[in-house]
Amino acid sequence: MEFFITSILNGAIYGMLLFMVSAGLTLIFGMMGVLNFAHASFYMLGAYFAYTLSGLFNFWIGLLVAPLLVGIIGVVIERFMLRRVHRHGHAHQLLLTFGLTFICEELVKLFYGDFPVNYQMPAELNFAAFTLFGINYPFYRVFIGLVAVAMFTALFFLLTRTRIGIIVRGAERLPKMAEALGHNVPLVSMGVFGTGAALAGLAGAVAGAFFPTNPNMAMELGVIVFVVVVVGGLGSLGGSLVASLLIGIFTSLAIGFDWSPADLLAPLGLDGWAHGIGGPLSLTLSSISGTVPFVLMLIVLLVRPAGLMGSKT
Amino acid sequence: MSRQPTPPHPMATEDHVLVIQNLDKHFDGLPIMRGVDLAIRRGERHAVLGPNGAGKSTLFNLISGAYPPSAGVITLNGRPIQGLAPERINRMGLARSFQITNIFSRLSAFENIRMGVMARHGVLFDLFSRIQAKHRINEESRALLDRVRLGHRAETAAADLTYSEQRALEIGMTLATSPEVILLDEPTAGMSREETFYIVELIRDVTKGKTLLVVEHDMSVVFSLCDRISVLVYGQILATGTPDEIRANREVQEAYLGEEAA
Amino acid sequence: MSVYRLIFGTLAAVLLVALPPTLGLGWQNTLTDVLIASLFAAAFNLLMGQGGMLSFGHAAYYGLGAFAVLHLMGAIENGFPFPTPLLPLAGGLAGLIAGLGAGYFATQRTGVYFSLVTLALAEMPHALAPHWKGAFGGESGLSSMRMPSMGFSFGSSLEVYYVTLAWVVACIALLYAYTHTPFGRLTLALRDNEQRVRFMGYNAHATKTLVFGISAMFSGVAGGLLAMSSETANYSIFSTQVSAQVVLHTIVGGSGLFFGPIIGASVLTLFTFLMSEMTRSWLLYQGIIFTLVMLYAPSGIGSIIQAHIVQRSRLPWGRLVLPYTLSAIGILLAAAAIVFVVQMSEHIFSQSYRAMIERTGAWEPVVLFSVSWQPLSPATWIPPLIAFAAGFLLLTRLRGTIARLWHEDRRDPDPSVVPAHGTA
Repeated sequence: MEFFITSILNGAIYGMLLFMVSAGLTLIFGMMGVLNFAHASFYMLGAYFAYTLSGLFNFWIGLLVAPLLVGIIGVVIERFMLRRVHRHGHAHQLLLTFGLTFICEELVKLFYGDFPVNYQMPAELNFAAFTLFGINYPFYRVFIGLVAVAMFTALFFLLTRTRIGIIVRGAERLPKMAEALGHNVPLVSMGVFGTGAALAGLAGAVAGAFFPTNPNMAMELGVIVFVVVVVGGLGSLGGSLVASLLIGIFTSLAIGFDWSPADLLAPLGLDGWAHGIGGPLSLTLSSISGTVPFVLMLIVLLVRPAGLMGSKT
Repeated sequence: MSRQPTPPHPMATEDHVLVIQNLDKHFDGLPIMRGVDLAIRRGERHAVLGPNGAGKSTLFNLISGAYPPSAGVITLNGRPIQGLAPERINRMGLARSFQITNIFSRLSAFENIRMGVMARHGVLFDLFSRIQAKHRINEESRALLDRVRLGHRAETAAADLTYSEQRALEIGMTLATSPEVILLDEPTAGMSREETFYIVELIRDVTKGKTLLVVEHDMSVVFSLCDRISVLVYGQILATGTPDEIRANREVQEAYLGEEAA
Repeated sequence: MSVYRLIFGTLAAVLLVALPPTLGLGWQNTLTDVLIASLFAAAFNLLMGQGGMLSFGHAAYYGLGAFAVLHLMGAIENGFPFPTPLLPLAGGLAGLIAGLGAGYFATQRTGVYFSLVTLALAEMPHALAPHWKGAFGGESGLSSMRMPSMGFSFGSSLEVYYVTLAWVVACIALLYAYTHTPFGRLTLALRDNEQRVRFMGYNAHATKTLVFGISAMFSGVAGGLLAMSSETANYSIFSTQVSAQVVLHTIVGGSGLFFGPIIGASVLTLFTFLMSEMTRSWLLYQGIIFTLVMLYAPSGIGSIIQAHIVQRSRLPWGRLVLPYTLSAIGILLAAAAIVFVVQMSEHIFSQSYRAMIERTGAWEPVVLFSVSWQPLSPATWIPPLIAFAAGFLLLTRLRGTIARLWHEDRRDPDPSVVPAHGTA
């Protein structure tokens, strides 16, 4: 029971983290049709910049400035690189972001080394929020959740209640029309890309202090984020939120389950035999918990590509 | 796809190669086809006229298998084809062209035609012959290319052809599979008078002995080329008849030609 | 063009056959790697360049091919009579079966959805293999030994090289022949306009699945060759890095050209071999090259070479000499600047250097290219800055001039854009 509750809590928070990163990706894809491979790199850069800044100044400055820096990088990438290859099509832009991910990861290894760095949460946040079944539950985890919620709320209001938000949504649906109406769509593109990047950077800055900050962060998180965005529905923020929570909670729970398909045969007395055969029958859920998001993505892609809440285009 | 036996249509006789009965199509609740009845005679040139939004392209899409109807039956030589996949319908002897040129832009004009000829010869999955050695296919493709008067442009990439050359290629590709029934979707769209005349002559020539169903906006084309006309308005056939009959039809004048004549 | 092809082909053949015995082990192994990478890229491009389907998970078929061969090698070790040189057949078979199965599902989607399906399909063996001892040897993977066969011991790198050469040449010849079959032409049409292909009477889904299967088959052969030469493989062969590498090779070489991916794979593999001896940052350089190609030569290096060959009679070579030379200088300047900065950074950000700073507090000079540089002095950083700026300016200015010289005959295509005709 305690495992259950703790897992759900941890899973929900991990899910919020996934959402912070995938929100930007969803916006960018919805707006520009480009699946930005480099998005997880923005997450990584956010963590590393925050690490450096918190070392030079303090944690809070890092938290504030790192996303801004990442956002600026995002704007530069959109303006000078993506826009340049725009005419060659979406596949080309996708591949370009792919190359950028490579470069990002290598640059991080170059400047910071090919091992984790010691990015730690500040002392003032390092306490127990409450005790759960006798174990202290770190406040920082809750902090991550709070930041994510604040971000979602801000984004929601920005997109639905402000003029900028309406323009962004309009440009997302019908860019030519929006341009014909006099809106500066290229500027909006730049803004969306930069904001998406900044959000991922914020996620990195916040998460990096708790989870390991290493050059593999981008790769590890990157593919899961795609899964989230696909399952939730490419272009749907609400879908991303739901999918993030689902995947976060599920991954957390699955790790604790040691049962395997062979165990299903226990009522028939055949579990020993099945375990003996080995192979896929004896794989435990915990060990293959990594595959589950992909199976989910596959199922969604093949059955209902629009995802949970995406539009059926 | 309806499996119940439908009563024979009053107009359906052995002479009718393509019969459409009670054809309905809704898109998300929006009705586009509302009970279309049409019987095309073997060997005739039949035009479908109608204002924009009447559902002419939808009709073609339904006949050629782009999507299934919401209700109704379409038969080709007596066999039902509604809801079948486009490749199956094509192999049963019906081919269509597209309103927006739908060619293989990076292949040469010759290859564009050859794709269709290959399919007609059943060469669908041939991994073991050299394409250069397929003499019958190559000769047939060459001949068809000449028939649509693009022989001199055989090696040009389709994307580099002029607009009317591409439209001619479009027609050639439709013919490449040797269909019995040909559907042409606005073949003269966007053309000048000279180009239109040229294409009409081409169509007249290459559809000899075949059945032609053509969507057109250009009245002079319709009246000079076609034996019969059907007028489609708001997803229903308003009238079917010879060009003179249609010209004289009051309802049609009001609904459609009236706007033109005025 | 065919005279050049003949000359080039003969030269390449002579080099590939006659040179290796004179080279050291390291080079022989590298050439084997170059051959394998070339085959993998050519197989990949069947799906991407010809079929128009971008797969992000081709490592799956490459890896499955490798494991299939390792299992077969194990069987041969235990006495199963099978000639060693024919080992890659197992790789091809595994690739074909997996490819047909995966392709059936993946090709039901198009565009980015297709790419994501292939990505997910590759992640499955990647996540499963470390836990599956029987099939994939768990985390440590499988190992086996090449057994003597047909009078050869297959113990030396040279023998492995020649077997690999034979296989790669044969497979590439088959892939080339494919482009001249009716199905090969259909593949191109499919890429251009899938809808029209259907309305002409072809079953597009079956066609796409078969193309996928064939591409996976040859990828499996490449993986099998890898297993044969390195005699081991583990789950990392299924990683996104491996899938990414083949995409990189293909794009840099040019996917619109049959030999593009082969050029890309060869150049980058050689480049990696040379660079990795000299610097830890060779992956970074690879990433930079890829990104630069994407930005400034979107059709790939091979395509630029081809454009020059095809248009050689038309180009004003006399007047191009100067801009080309200046461009080369510009590229060298910019490249030198980048390399300098990266290498300096590699030194001063390294752990040992950092530790030294902690200890002594002093920033020792770094020796680079036989010159000693003071890390904190502007004299170290200003030259590369100037070099880069100069190179960049030179290139941006010359771009327009070169484009104008190319376009002198009006309609002819810009060398950095895809040629108007299909592959081969």
